[in-house]
Amino acid sequence: MLVLCVLILACGGVSAEALLRVLAWPGYADPDVVKAFEQRYKARVEVTFVDSDEGLWSRMNAKEGPRFDVLAANTAEMQRYYAAGLLKPLDATSLPNLARQLPRFRQRQRIPGLEQLGVLYAVPFTYSTMGIIYDKRQFASPPDSMNVLWDPRFRHKVLDFNGGQHNFSFSALASGIEHPFRLSNDERARLTRRLIDLRRNVLTFYNLPEEATELFVRHKVAVMFGNYGTQQLNSLRRAGADVGYALPKEGVLAWLDCWAMTRFAADPMLAQQWINYMLEPSVSSLLPKRQGLANTLVESEDLQDKAKVLWLQPVEDAGRREALWQRIMAGDRPGSF
Amino acid sequence: MRSSLLFKLVLLLAVIGILSSGLTGYYVYSANRALLVSAAQATLMGAVKDLNRRLGISVEQATEDVLMLSRLVQVDRALSMPDGPERERAKDELAQAFASMLALHPEYLQVRLIGSADNGLELVRMDSAGGLTLRVAGDALQEKAHYPYMFDTLALPAGQVYQSAITVNHERSSHDAEGVPSIMLATPLPRHDGQPGGLVVINVDLNKLIGPVRADLPRGYRFYLANSWGDFLVHPDPGQTFGFDRGRRVFMQDSFPAAKPLFEHGANTQVVNGLDQPELAPGSIMAFVRQPFGLGVGNDFLVTGLVEPLDSVLANAQPLGLRIMHIVLACSVIAILLAVIFARALLRPINTLAEAATRFSDTRQHQPLPVERDDEIGVLARNFDSMQRQLHQHMANLYDNQRELDYLAHHDALTGLANRSLFFQRLEQRLAGVAGDQRAFAVLFVDLDRFKDINDRFGHALGDQVLQIVARRLLHGVRSSDVVARLGGDEYLVLLSGIASETALGELLDKLMRSIGEPISVDGVSLNVGASIGYSLYPRDGDNAEDLVNRADHSMYRVKAMHHQTS
Repeated sequence: MLVLCVLILACGGVSAEALLRVLAWPGYADPDVVKAFEQRYKARVEVTFVDSDEGLWSRMNAKEGPRFDVLAANTAEMQRYYAAGLLKPLDATSLPNLARQLPRFRQRQRIPGLEQLGVLYAVPFTYSTMGIIYDKRQFASPPDSMNVLWDPRFRHKVLDFNGGQHNFSFSALASGIEHPFRLSNDERARLTRRLIDLRRNVLTFYNLPEEATELFVRHKVAVMFGNYGTQQLNSLRRAGADVGYALPKEGVLAWLDCWAMTRFAADPMLAQQWINYMLEPSVSSLLPKRQGLANTLVESEDLQDKAKVLWLQPVEDAGRREALWQRIMAGDRPGSF
Repeated sequence: MRSSLLFKLVLLLAVIGILSSGLTGYYVYSANRALLVSAAQATLMGAVKDLNRRLGISVEQATEDVLMLSRLVQVDRALSMPDGPERERAKDELAQAFASMLALHPEYLQVRLIGSADNGLELVRMDSAGGLTLRVAGDALQEKAHYPYMFDTLALPAGQVYQSAITVNHERSSHDAEGVPSIMLATPLPRHDGQPGGLVVINVDLNKLIGPVRADLPRGYRFYLANSWGDFLVHPDPGQTFGFDRGRRVFMQDSFPAAKPLFEHGANTQVVNGLDQPELAPGSIMAFVRQPFGLGVGNDFLVTGLVEPLDSVLANAQPLGLRIMHIVLACSVIAILLAVIFARALLRPINTLAEAATRFSDTRQHQPLPVERDDEIGVLARNFDSMQRQLHQHMANLYDNQRELDYLAHHDALTGLANRSLFFQRLEQRLAGVAGDQRAFAVLFVDLDRFKDINDRFGHALGDQVLQIVARRLLHGVRSSDVVARLGGDEYLVLLSGIASETALGELLDKLMRSIGEPISVDGVSLNVGASIGYSLYPRDGDNAEDLVNRADHSMYRVKAMHHQTS
């Protein structure tokens, strides 16, 4: 009986092509890339794209619909998926292309979210820093600190992103706080005051990259927090701005998207072949070419080896930060906190 | 053959009739559909423009209100007076004015006076809170200098009104305004002394603004509104609106490729229908109008769109379509009937001609032909008729000739009497005729006496005249049913069909001999010609023609011999 079952399963496996379900962001798995993988590994790949962290989370936790084999998410989100028990450990020996990565990404224990208890769960794929974008005509030399956003010389010539999480984090860096993702209540209260000061110094807070570009050009903005990273530079330059990109000495916030295997992966071998394939130079090199994003194989110009990078991590209390930020944004005065 | 031609003609005419009525019906049907769609298109475009006009009027109303409030004297006092009871009183009076404005316009969410000093601190603020008006004061007042409606308004000259982009208001503690799609309308209040001024701003609820307009739209119309980037602001599915607010943008130009030219090429209107361009407007009619709007970022214009399902427009074409189908069916039946009638009418004269030809060839009978017609059939009939007549004439001539030949073959050319051949024919007929009728009959053999002398003395011409006269006398002497024939030379034969008795026969013979024996006057010459007549009787002397004539001949010789002896 058992022999029969094994035989049937084996035959089934031979006759039907293996199927890999991928959950990713637009630009991570273009059709030509998928097709080449399908031919090489004689498998069928189904890609589902998401456009927000929340969309990704709800797809992964959907009661109905397909179970995904691999997903791409940033390091902070990876910790959330690990904590929810949704990930399966990876076998580094099945991922020979890890050796091609820059030293910065090979030191995995230094990037929170990649390993848990010494076991590999996520592999870095692409990243973007959130540096300072400045108008070269208004700066003799590139600004080197996050504190430039508070500089009264640029009052109402500063743009910041309308978002609580990163604003608290970079304000913490600017204020010399060691762990920007782990703020104490006191630190948060202090930073609230700092953010009110920032609010009084900025022109406004933007939501969309194209909105930032329009405001930057129209109001002759001097300096801006680049929430969308170097991708914003192209759009600004197209709009006629002469802009530079600077990394503050306090350290730069950066998101790092990784590939991981879910606990639903039916064929872990195939899933890891996909992750390894994503690190092929032919595939990873498409990120700068097509998306304006950096890959983990080649040093990018705006991120020099010595730069201090703070890969995003889950913050101590996202809800609290957001609530505070809403009040700051609405214009509450220091006395009312 | 005839029926196959009829069938073909009926088929051809019926097909032409059905095809023409069907094609006409289809053309009318599709023309009607196109007409309906084009009318619906124009109506839809009119509705969009009307909608824009009404929205424009609503916004204009709020603009007037902003300007009206900005002219209140209390505004200047609240802005420029030093802190004190008088300034407070001005603020209280303004609060009352703002409150009555809010009460009057349910679509207004907030009415505020904001100073540009102190980071844009609100000076007087009335909020709509749960439908009631609520004055926000003291520490609850907020700094607003970092909002575009502040710095963009302050950059305007006095008397101008700023229109913000339509966005979801995320200003916390703004009561009813929080989380609601709205437009800010504001006017700057510059101060003449160079000190920071301020602005009056009204926050208008988008949904309440468009509510009455939307309610007035005909059923089935779907209403869309997008900003100049294409983000939906109004959509039948609220989940598709303000996507930029949730990091998941939904663009009008993606959902409706027909609207693309408005965003990319600066087109002002675009109307498409699914009948002509099914790929652009599948199953619907769409009208989009680009409307200049506001002054803010992403806010140069709005695109208003109405979409109507094509089915509901074309549903009006269905009754007509059904009726057209009925008419086409009726026309087809009529066409078939007419085809049968017409084909038969067309074929009837041809059939008449054919019948006439058949009858003529069978019986030589002359049939009436449709010669009075003045069409091709008439020509054919007339030609056929004249041909028939000619044929008839030829046949008659031929018949006459044949009768003449026949006469010549059986008659003696000189006397007109039957010749030997005809005589024998009649004799045979008589013999055949008496099979059942045993009545006796006689054959007489007449030979003229001394006729050779007459010929020798007076010539053949006179002899011939004598022979003719004798012939007439013989004919005269017998009944018309008897047969008189000239055998040749001066010999005659007579067939007497009915003999009452031999005595009567004797009397007849005497009478004939006397008649012939009477003097004959020819060319002034009187001649006496005698005749010897022998006879034979049937059935006494034979039962066949040969025997009867031979017996009569012999009998005649005996008589002639007697005449020689007596003379």
